[in-house]
Amino acid sequence: MTISAERPTDVVATPPSTSGAVRRGGWFSQHLGTALIAAILGYLFGHWLGNHIAGNYTPVVNSGVNDLANFFGLLFGVVGWLLGIGALNYPLAKIAGRSGTEKTPDVEGFSKYFRYSTDHKTVGLQYVIGVCLFLFTGGLLAMAIRTELLNPTTHIFAPSTYIEIVSEHGTIMMMMATSIVVGPLGNYLIPLMIGSRRMAFPRIEAFSFWIFTAGYMVIFSALPYGGFPTGWTGYAPLQNQAGPGMISYLFGFAVIGLGMMAAGFNIAVTIINYRAPGMTWGRVPIFVWSILATAALLTLATPVLFSAGLFGILDRVDQTAFYVAEHGGSSYLWENLFWFFGHPEVYIMALPAFGIVAEILPVFCRKPLFAQKVGAAGMIGVALLSFFVWQHHIFQSGINPDMRPLFMLTTELISIPTGFIFLVGMGTLYKAKIRYELPMLFSLALFFNFLIGGLTGVFLSDVPVNVTVHGGFFVLSHFHYTIMGGLLFAFMAGLYYWLPKMTGLMLNKKIGLWQFWLMFVFFNLTFFPMFIIGLLGQPRRVYTYAKNLQGLNDFSSISAFILGISFLIFAWNLAYSWFIKPEKAPANPWDSLGLEWQTATPVPVHNFDRIPVIMTDPYHYGEPGATALADLSGVSSSTGNPA
Amino acid sequence: MTDTYNKPGVMSTTPEEVEFELRAHIGSIWTGGRLFIGMYTFMVASLAFAYFYLRSSNYSMEWRPNHVTAPTQYGWAIYACVAVMSLLAIFGQSRLRKGQVADWLVAGWTAVGIGLLALFLQLWEFVALPFYPGSSGYASTFIGFGVMNAVTLFATTYWVETTVARAHALKREFGADAILAKTSEARSFRANVAAMTYFQGFAFLVGTLFLLMFYVL
Repeated sequence: MTISAERPTDVVATPPSTSGAVRRGGWFSQHLGTALIAAILGYLFGHWLGNHIAGNYTPVVNSGVNDLANFFGLLFGVVGWLLGIGALNYPLAKIAGRSGTEKTPDVEGFSKYFRYSTDHKTVGLQYVIGVCLFLFTGGLLAMAIRTELLNPTTHIFAPSTYIEIVSEHGTIMMMMATSIVVGPLGNYLIPLMIGSRRMAFPRIEAFSFWIFTAGYMVIFSALPYGGFPTGWTGYAPLQNQAGPGMISYLFGFAVIGLGMMAAGFNIAVTIINYRAPGMTWGRVPIFVWSILATAALLTLATPVLFSAGLFGILDRVDQTAFYVAEHGGSSYLWENLFWFFGHPEVYIMALPAFGIVAEILPVFCRKPLFAQKVGAAGMIGVALLSFFVWQHHIFQSGINPDMRPLFMLTTELISIPTGFIFLVGMGTLYKAKIRYELPMLFSLALFFNFLIGGLTGVFLSDVPVNVTVHGGFFVLSHFHYTIMGGLLFAFMAGLYYWLPKMTGLMLNKKIGLWQFWLMFVFFNLTFFPMFIIGLLGQPRRVYTYAKNLQGLNDFSSISAFILGISFLIFAWNLAYSWFIKPEKAPANPWDSLGLEWQTATPVPVHNFDRIPVIMTDPYHYGEPGATALADLSGVSSSTGNPA
Repeated sequence: MTDTYNKPGVMSTTPEEVEFELRAHIGSIWTGGRLFIGMYTFMVASLAFAYFYLRSSNYSMEWRPNHVTAPTQYGWAIYACVAVMSLLAIFGQSRLRKGQVADWLVAGWTAVGIGLLALFLQLWEFVALPFYPGSSGYASTFIGFGVMNAVTLFATTYWVETTVARAHALKREFGADAILAKTSEARSFRANVAAMTYFQGFAFLVGTLFLLMFYVL
């Protein structure tokens, strides 16, 4: 990438908006409160409208369930939410021809976190709180599940309530997990890591967060509607037979899907176009590569989920028959569409985790990242291959048996680029003098956990094993090892590593160590027994089990409770380190070479005083005399292309 | 390391930085337009998958009993509207490149009118269907297509309208030659027109495919 030496005298003096949020001061401007009020009003109006339209229809009168009213309620509720927060101000103003590049002043102070801010750093911190809310809600539901499984005969919940809790837990966790890294860390860090002063489409970025929060409320609204019995996979025909809570599931997925597409779209475009001069693809940090691969998956796989959700909603509110075999539809259609999104979703969760640890390892090993380009290639390879494996999820669901070997092969193939990434980590660790700081501990834990999750995944891709353990706790343990053992540990590593940059405050190390050891030990004690429980035949999503499995289940449940406590310790650490005894973070507490650490803390609105010129990649640790990462005095002082 | 704790700099830009950001901005419009087409492709591809999956499966022999078809006059009329919108976009852009702003504006407003007409026809078609939504696989996928097409028509018309409205605003703010100038606003505007034209051309191809699927085959 080069910068023109020609002085563009005919260009206006201000760049396309580098500003943050629109100023809206006072209680009567748009903020979270007005969004809530507008959402409630929208919900009431939509519900009334749906009843007005369909209240007298025979199916509605006979069943007492008006899906149209429920759907319209949620739809208008979401529209009200967006109107109330101010997300629709600009799209409406555009109709009159308003510019997209008008410079607007920033809102200062704490209230900006409750408003429609277009500053990527504010959005990133909003996401931190948002995903933690998701995480804790889903975690509470997990505690409820493990409590029920303490005893096979004495029950706390009815079977139908239990499956509703399981379904809500799975859906909330999976939806949260799609955004847990891309949302907070991706939005905050990508412009800093590529040397940009802004995101490509700040309004789309802000939209992605506020629609994400709307999706959370829509999915959670299933509980007062009576929940949904399908698990997070929402399989038809149960989907068509379920109660009104199913609308919340289908519409919630579609709403969160919109947020995922918006986030992926914005981040991909930003990385492609806003890299600082000199930042060739070979110099792009590995975390950015992982987010780029993830953004591609978010952008291209999620529309399929959105369509599948639309078809499901139409089946319920308009009586179409997409998933009803008796009327020319097919439940397998849902399964195919769902998993065409669903398997890339696994990598939407895994790739950012790999990116975080690959970014952190060299810092604490004081060694260059081993085979950086191979790691980036592995990430792109995983992203591409993830589109060709979805049918391994339906080996047992009636697909043509002749298709099984093909998808078994593609699934096993994907372990090769995944192995590339793993080897990058191992190569970096080799002969390193490791500093065991908290981010490093969480990163090392990921390799341990993901090794177990990944190896069991190779077994599961084999049809004979799949036939044997399908639908049981073995599968459950496998994906918790990959998603929780991988993604969540990486997320924690990322938070401990980057929150000092994001907030200017260090997190307490002692409390963090308590959290880490409890989380690591009791994560394994919770989920490893589930492999055995699964092999002994306990099925998922069932509230009872054979009496001889109670010991293992109790062991797992008690471990899960302590695992839950580790998250409370994390919440306590945030409160302690931010409010009770705040400790200012040094400018670069980990001695990182990353570009994001080279700018001021707290990061100014425009990120960099000058757009930096990148000289090399950021992994030259332990190399005396290595080229400086960047010329921070900017492009105007640079002569030509340093690349 | 640069210890700059609590020493945020003052925002200033050099001409080179302004030009760099402008190029990045225009590149974003270009990339975003293509990526949006990619997203749209996967969305309509899932509908096409549903169509062919249910058609080939023909569960309960209920794919399309009696070869019932949606009203073809509506289908062709909507398709004609989409085709004219695309042609107007291509024609308008070529005239804009030659400096004929007025031609582009007329083409744009005409496209807005035609887009609204197509949207009205698509919605009205729902009340003129000779089948119930769940009467067959064909009927279900047609309803899905109708909803997606209505959203596409609305979004396309919105895009055209906001672009034309922006052109008028630019003329008001910066004078008659504002759209053809070398200012950042004008360059950004023309990039947006190019992305919009590209998308409309693609939407026309998609419309052709679905016309064949739902009204001809």
